[in-house]
Amino acid sequence: MPDDLHVIGVRHHSPACARLVADTVDRLRPAHVLIEGPADFNDRLGELALAHTPPIAIYSYMAAGGAARRSWSPLCDYSPEWLALTKGRETGAAVKFIDLPAWHDAFAEVENRYSDAERRYADATERLCREFAVDNTDALWDHLVEIADPEGLAERLDRYFDLVRGEAEATEPDSARERHMAEWIRAALAEDDGPVLVVCGGFHAPALRRLAEAGGPRAWPEVPGPPPDAVVGSFLVPYSFKRLDAFAGYQSGMPSPEYYQRLWDDGAETAAGALVELIATRLRGKHQIVSTADLIGARGLTEGLARLRGHDRPGRTDLLDGLASALISDDLEQPLPWTRRGTLTAGTHPVVVEMTAALTGSRTGRLHPDTPAPPLVADVEGALERLGLGGTRRLRLDLTDARDLERSRALHCLRLLELPGFTRQDGPSAGSDVTAEEHWDLRDGDGRLPAVIEAGVYGATLGDAAQTVLEHRIDRAGGDLDALSGVLFGAALCGRAHLTDRLGRAVADGVADCGDLAAVGAALTVALALWRHDHLFGTAGSELYATVITACAERAMWLAEGLRAGPGPADLGRLKTLAAVRDAVRHAPSLTPPAASVAATARRIAGDGAAPPDLRGGAAGLAWSLGASLDAAGAAAGVSEPDRLGDWLAGLFRVAREEVLAEAAEHGVVHAVDEIVGDMTEQEFLVALPALRQAFAFFPPRERAQIAEQLVALRGGGESAHSMLDRHDADPLTVAAAHALEARVDEVLTREHLTAATEEQR
Amino acid sequence: MTRTSPEPKLQRPPAERRYADELAKLTADDTAPRPPGWAMSLQAARTFIVGDDKLGIARKFVGDPSLIDRALVTLATNRGLMLVGDPGTAKSLLSELIAAAVSGDSTLTIQGGAATTEDQIAYSWNYSLLVSEGPTRRALVPAPLHQGMAEGRVVRFEEITRCPLEVQDSLLSPLSDRVLAVPELEGSDGMVFAREGFNIIATANTRDRGVNEMSAALKRRFNFETVFPIGDFDTELALVEAEAAAALERSGVPVPPSRDVLEVLVHVFRDLRSADGSGDRMQSVMSTAEAVSVAHAVGIKAWYLRGGEAAAGDIVDCMAGAAAKDNAEDLARLRRYLEQRAPKRKGRHWQDLHQARNLLPG
Repeated sequence: MPDDLHVIGVRHHSPACARLVADTVDRLRPAHVLIEGPADFNDRLGELALAHTPPIAIYSYMAAGGAARRSWSPLCDYSPEWLALTKGRETGAAVKFIDLPAWHDAFAEVENRYSDAERRYADATERLCREFAVDNTDALWDHLVEIADPEGLAERLDRYFDLVRGEAEATEPDSARERHMAEWIRAALAEDDGPVLVVCGGFHAPALRRLAEAGGPRAWPEVPGPPPDAVVGSFLVPYSFKRLDAFAGYQSGMPSPEYYQRLWDDGAETAAGALVELIATRLRGKHQIVSTADLIGARGLTEGLARLRGHDRPGRTDLLDGLASALISDDLEQPLPWTRRGTLTAGTHPVVVEMTAALTGSRTGRLHPDTPAPPLVADVEGALERLGLGGTRRLRLDLTDARDLERSRALHCLRLLELPGFTRQDGPSAGSDVTAEEHWDLRDGDGRLPAVIEAGVYGATLGDAAQTVLEHRIDRAGGDLDALSGVLFGAALCGRAHLTDRLGRAVADGVADCGDLAAVGAALTVALALWRHDHLFGTAGSELYATVITACAERAMWLAEGLRAGPGPADLGRLKTLAAVRDAVRHAPSLTPPAASVAATARRIAGDGAAPPDLRGGAAGLAWSLGASLDAAGAAAGVSEPDRLGDWLAGLFRVAREEVLAEAAEHGVVHAVDEIVGDMTEQEFLVALPALRQAFAFFPPRERAQIAEQLVALRGGGESAHSMLDRHDADPLTVAAAHALEARVDEVLTREHLTAATEEQR
Repeated sequence: MTRTSPEPKLQRPPAERRYADELAKLTADDTAPRPPGWAMSLQAARTFIVGDDKLGIARKFVGDPSLIDRALVTLATNRGLMLVGDPGTAKSLLSELIAAAVSGDSTLTIQGGAATTEDQIAYSWNYSLLVSEGPTRRALVPAPLHQGMAEGRVVRFEEITRCPLEVQDSLLSPLSDRVLAVPELEGSDGMVFAREGFNIIATANTRDRGVNEMSAALKRRFNFETVFPIGDFDTELALVEAEAAAALERSGVPVPPSRDVLEVLVHVFRDLRSADGSGDRMQSVMSTAEAVSVAHAVGIKAWYLRGGEAAAGDIVDCMAGAAAKDNAEDLARLRRYLEQRAPKRKGRHWQDLHQARNLLPG
């Protein structure tokens, strides 16, 4: 290896490595400091030099062909890369990032540039964990690096990473990155003006040393450009410890940033003490009992564990293990999270949740005001300013007012981009809602700016970005009509319904693929309402929704005709669908098949013995409401079994409520049903009762009273209709038990010949 | 003339006899400071349990090493150690190993149960001596707690939650004041003060009454450690393979079980154990120990009935009895698993398993 080359293989976000980097820069005074980081950012390193408060991240995006890729390179106070940047700048070295840009294919699967590369090659680390009898690589790392003696750290790191790298065959993406980084190193060495310090992930270090020595071009390399049709960008975003700790799986790096921040700031003992205090305060704040005895116990355990594990100072797991042993007096459902790697799982003990949350911390970074931001940020800020949507408050919008409508649309776009702080409390939830008012909760907060910067991937203006998200949602919805109808309404709310031919086609395709009658109905209802009378959102008569209505109406009838099932509880979803078809045929005749043919299909379904009774009832209602005549007695007789009658009626009433109320009493459905019920035995009636009750529930109380009066009139009874509808206070179960008892008494009396009739016979 | 017969072979000697060589070696090489009353240092005790290839110490407990650390440090403090977990997660084995390492003796064991009384825990009397001499030290029959306190050794209390609560609470004063009163005796014999080295390892089963019913006072005197099923597939497979092979050898079957079949078996157990929240989690215990016993049964069936070739289908047969026990819902879960999940896996044995679903009773 050339004498001038010094490669420090680090673990990203490691305080011990950061210290090593800082010391080395001071000692070597290198001419070049080369850092694993996006090389495309090199001409903007000045932005990083502004007085930011870490954690911050370089956020890179690429949008191409409808797909968006995002990745972050997070930097905190104690990142070795951050130290290399600041220290290198201070000492006047030429500082450069040397890794491939985030848009390169090597980063196709990478969200966190500073994740632990060695996690992808776990064999060696697993063996080391066994050897040192620790749970996982995080504990191993603390043991070997963070709380170990800083003397000889550089050699120890090299040996560790040589071992890890020694057996692993690097994947192609990793090799591509290493080849590129080596080109920069060779070029820096070729300048021959002093020591060259390379700060890179430890996994790459052995390879970089090897490659730098090998021959190759010695000129500064070209940074590969993005794919021709791609939109790319890199911007600084404020970052937070929460997000830093939330990476999972192969994307994760060092856990517990708050702990390591304190380790960096104050050293291991002070960090441990402060965190115990923090955890105790948090737990007491949540009304968990943390006694002084517990804390003494925890302290003793932590010290004992540190000593047993050969640590001079308590480490992260010593601290956590001690606290867990002392504070938890329950069996755990989930293993302690620091014995595994990864994020918390459901069922984790609440004390453990608080402990890990305390170690994660809640620090957020802050960017210097002069930091450039993507165009979307200015557009969003402009829109908020222009429409008066800033600050934290509640907002009432009247959608009939033009300015309020514009504000509402902007807010819906913001919500679609999932920017924090824009919550809609209430408002229209589908086109048929009567309300024209919306209530919003606006909340300004720290999290908004990073979210806006990151949403910059979707477009330069708010509207365009919302449009992109809508289209993404369609892609993600696939053939799921429920999700698609949500997107349909979302498009209306954002005021984007007119633009989206993509949306119309996607919905039509989704409808054709959909086998669920209820889902088709839901989409039809939304589209019909928006098409018919949504002047509020300006969607009335929109071509988009017309396409949807046509597709849905046809598909609904097709599915309904093919449905086969025996008796079963009425399915409200499919009945709603039939009602939606009815409305579509009535109000949008130009978009649906002619009424007569729909009615004919409906009659066919109604007469089909293999169709489920509720659908038959609904179809009968559909035919009836579209003008066909209904032979009530005949139709009811076809479904007179006690387990069918109620469901059939439910279907009929749901779809043809008005018709039932309007018809003449003597030949009507109610009369026919009354006859059938009258002929039922007690047992049969009890079977039929629940479904019948459900069916009549479709009528509001006033109409129910009206039917009751009809019945009373028909039967010529003296009771008033109202008394029939009076609710009984008795529990139905008690009533049923009373009935059963009476029946038994009657039976016994009959058996013993004690009834009045037998008495007389005697 | 007498002839000394060779020592009869024990079915299962205690840990300190099984691993006498390792314990002796570790004690001899042990230079680290020992907690008072301990047979070896914390480091040596840990090495004894988690193993060390270089020293030739076998790994005896498959699980997080940090659990062992916490358990040992706890025992060196003034709190007892409570091992909780599902049945079959090797809690008792762990407590035996720890006791053997810490005290050199794992036999001071109280087996908890519905009928456990204080007599069996602390002390009882030799009644003929009691009648002839009155309550004297000679008439007293020490039980494990008395012995452990007087001699400064670790006492194991198995299945503590199966004891009545008032019996459990008899541990309160030995744990907090480190003293056991024998009111019948006069003078210094009336109080047994615990010598250094005394502590209690209790185990409790989460499927029984659980630890929730324990009195808060007693809970406070224990540090809780939950022992989990083995997290890693390969480790569990290796363990099942080793244990099943050993069990088969004891049953006179000379061939180890087929690895393919064991893989399927371990997969099935792990799937049914976790069943990612879909409501398919088995009520019965799907522990590694249970997997070993099913593997054992499959191996025996293969050797004695099929001429050696184990078939994945046999798993179903053996599981129906061993794992699903008599729980009809579990049987339904197993059936659903075999019908829906098994055919999605690739490999001949998974297909066999799927085919064998008809062997389930009912």
